[in-house]
Amino acid sequence: MKIIITGAGAVGYHLAKMLSSESQDIYLIDENEDRLQYVASHIDVYTIVGDAKSIKILESADIGACDLLIAVTSSEETNLLISILAKKFGAKRTIARITDLDILKKGREEVYQDLGIDTLISPVLLATEEINRLVKRSVFTDDFEFEGGKLTVFGISIGENSPLKNKTVKDSSYLNPELNYKSIALHRNEETILTTPETIIKENDIVYFISTPESIDDVTNICGKECFPIKDIMILGGSEIGVLTAEHLEQDYNVTLVEKDKLRCEKIAGRLKKALVINVDARDVEALEEEGLADMDAFIAVTGDSETNIMSSLVAKNHGVRKTIARVENIDYIHLSQAIGIDTLINKKIIAASNIFKYVRKGNVSAIASLHGVDAEIIEFIVKPDSKVTHKKIKDLKFPKSANISGVIRDDKGFIPFGDFELQAGDKAVVFSLTESINQIEKFFL
Amino acid sequence: MPKAKRLLNLKVIAHVVGTLLMINGFLMAMSIPFSIYYNDGATWSFITSALLTFSCGLGLRFSNKQSKDAEIKKRDGYLIVVLGWVSMVIFGSLPYIMSGEISNISNAFFETMSGFTTTGATILGDEGHKISNLPESLLFWRSTTQWIGGMGIIVLTIAILPLLGIGGMELFVAEAPGPTKDKIHPRIKETAKRLWVIYFGLTFLEMILLMLSGMTFFDAINHAFTTTSTGGFSTKDGSIADFNSPAIEYIIIFFMFLAGTNFTLIYFGLKGKLKHFWKNDEFKWYLMSIIGLTIVLTPFVLNNSEGGIGQAFRETLFQVVSMITTTGYSSADYMAWGGLVMFIFFLLLFSGASAGSTSGGMKIVRIVLLMKNGLMEFKRRLHPNAIIPIHLNKEPVSNKIIYNLLAFVFLYLFIFTIGSIVITAMGVPFVEAISAVATSVGNVGPGIGSIGPTGNFSALPDASKWVLSLLMLMGRLELFTVALIFTPYFWKRN
Repeated sequence: MKIIITGAGAVGYHLAKMLSSESQDIYLIDENEDRLQYVASHIDVYTIVGDAKSIKILESADIGACDLLIAVTSSEETNLLISILAKKFGAKRTIARITDLDILKKGREEVYQDLGIDTLISPVLLATEEINRLVKRSVFTDDFEFEGGKLTVFGISIGENSPLKNKTVKDSSYLNPELNYKSIALHRNEETILTTPETIIKENDIVYFISTPESIDDVTNICGKECFPIKDIMILGGSEIGVLTAEHLEQDYNVTLVEKDKLRCEKIAGRLKKALVINVDARDVEALEEEGLADMDAFIAVTGDSETNIMSSLVAKNHGVRKTIARVENIDYIHLSQAIGIDTLINKKIIAASNIFKYVRKGNVSAIASLHGVDAEIIEFIVKPDSKVTHKKIKDLKFPKSANISGVIRDDKGFIPFGDFELQAGDKAVVFSLTESINQIEKFFL
Repeated sequence: MPKAKRLLNLKVIAHVVGTLLMINGFLMAMSIPFSIYYNDGATWSFITSALLTFSCGLGLRFSNKQSKDAEIKKRDGYLIVVLGWVSMVIFGSLPYIMSGEISNISNAFFETMSGFTTTGATILGDEGHKISNLPESLLFWRSTTQWIGGMGIIVLTIAILPLLGIGGMELFVAEAPGPTKDKIHPRIKETAKRLWVIYFGLTFLEMILLMLSGMTFFDAINHAFTTTSTGGFSTKDGSIADFNSPAIEYIIIFFMFLAGTNFTLIYFGLKGKLKHFWKNDEFKWYLMSIIGLTIVLTPFVLNNSEGGIGQAFRETLFQVVSMITTTGYSSADYMAWGGLVMFIFFLLLFSGASAGSTSGGMKIVRIVLLMKNGLMEFKRRLHPNAIIPIHLNKEPVSNKIIYNLLAFVFLYLFIFTIGSIVITAMGVPFVEAISAVATSVGNVGPGIGSIGPTGNFSALPDASKWVLSLLMLMGRLELFTVALIFTPYFWKRN
């Protein structure tokens, strides 16, 4: 597949890296020569220095043969223009990153589709949606719902009192007589391991489960965690993500939003209906204490500064806040932040990249999700009548070891498949795969 | 446990070098059928050398198993390239030694290094050590070393094996010739594949044409190997002159010329985008210098030889192309053509052909840029505040490239000077010494005087052969790659 990415910023770079690891042909266009030099020496892509708005530059990337154009420069207008031009010159599909959320909220996408922009992506909106889901499921580090919640994949860290602790997956299978859930993978010491019946689970591992809706609470319990109700939430940072999150959450929760810029505070206060807007510096712990930091049930740090978010989340944790979510834009910090005890990390770029990632997949992928700090993707495939996966038991499929079929949705109901399960046409299969094997997996579903 | 601090990832290095040796062993085995067919007596020495090389490679590769995403850092990359080449030369000299044809280790190493680096300087040719007396399989191996070295074994490895995911580019850059590293495809593996396909295609086409003009299959394949790699080894003691055929000479001129052209241009040419040739400044200069030099030198050659104007023109053209592309074939003894011609040829030892071709030397693009920069320096004197960029292919060239270029040219001349001093100190006469050094760094082949087209390098002291071998390797890997390892910065973290 031939993919052109314009803009070698964090999202562009991250996408290019993900895609080049599975041998796609990638052209990366950016105006900054030094940045491209860095990119070219780190990932296997073709770099073009220049302004992607120029038709000459687009043509030098052979736009006519392009399957997918992804416009992720920092400017919305540029992205829109590039996508329109690309479509006119023959790109099969175009994706543009935008910042103006009104377009997405009010369903005006058709107008843009007529212009030639197939998909609009707003990292801010995606991040906000993810935060909302995570607040509702307070004990999870990550979670993804498939087909409106028929199956859920979630990560949870193993507590001190969990009966799973120090046992193999097989030994603790008695806890799961009805086979309504199973463990897929675990994350330990910066390493992602796919679980087998012989895998031993240890305390503080983050284990990823797939479960039908009715068993989610059971899984939470056996992991030594309990779901706690959330009432009071503090949001740090009046960035677009912070305000949007507050708008979403203020209906159901008591929201306090902290922002250090006074003018910005006044603006936000005008936008929010119920939430309390406080004008202090996030690093002023005393002031946060005065605003009731210790009584908060959740703490969401989404300032533009990763370091501030990490530090203030640690402060909140120290004050007994049970759920902390920090926005960490520096991808290299993610492993470390998880290790030192922040519950959940949000990275706009990873979210945006994995959202775009699904458009690269061939035809029959209906959803895709990636986990923070884990080199793996969860992909939902629609099973075609004659694909390789049908007419055989799962255990006989010779699936790569670095992937597994975690869940199946059939007739609108979620199932957890084990070795003897047989897939049928029309099923939706949820597959967990390390990034390196995605290409191989796709062949099974062709 | 304290974390082990390591500058170099020795496991990755051993793994890749092992892989290169395995390929080398496999290519060595290609000589075995020739040996059996001609019953030349070298079969067993080839079987043992190939097996030894292959199994050493296998051992190195599998005792240092790598995870698929093991990263090759810059330092590792440079060391892989240098160690890979050195070990290939060491193992590549086994057939010469084992068969007893070249029993002196210095000579065998020199001959193999001269092969892999596509230099084409030889120690064979003396009475009793005639090239044509060598077993056919050894002759074929001699040409094969040049063919592998022409496009580069690492480029080959990237093309056929999935071993170098991340960091492949570092290796590619360290091995591929010339200052511009154009990718012709987004993926390095595909780029390498295309380069090898073009290379293979050129070789095959030339072989067919040579056979049609009367060469035997064996001579044709050997000369095709050593033309497209701009190597210059021949199966005859008198090089191309022994064939005495204008057709063969013209065919070889044509293919030497192509081998000295940037392969990226050839790729675009094959895709029908011929305008790329005329937009390329380097190609224009390459073509014009060949035409210009041939026109200027033909009268001198005519004066100093017995044939007519047609023959003089052909011989001049052949020799100019052979020198500028650093092939080093000879169709006549240019030593007899007088002082001026000889001096021009001496200068050509430095130039080389296009970047991104299989030729050696400084490359024409560097000389063009250097001249333009020198000329602009005068303009800068008159307009001290002016920003005066240098243009190449109608694009301004960044200062970073100019600095790098100046450093390269300085390093080239520095290595030439030091090399000449060392070789002269070993007792080699002045003219032989400087032309031997220039021909080695430039990967050309023959020099001037007793190492000229009718002579050879066997009379030089053994020690000087090791020095010249090092110079050839430096020249083939574009100086910096090898020289870097001898700097203290390479071995220090900062």
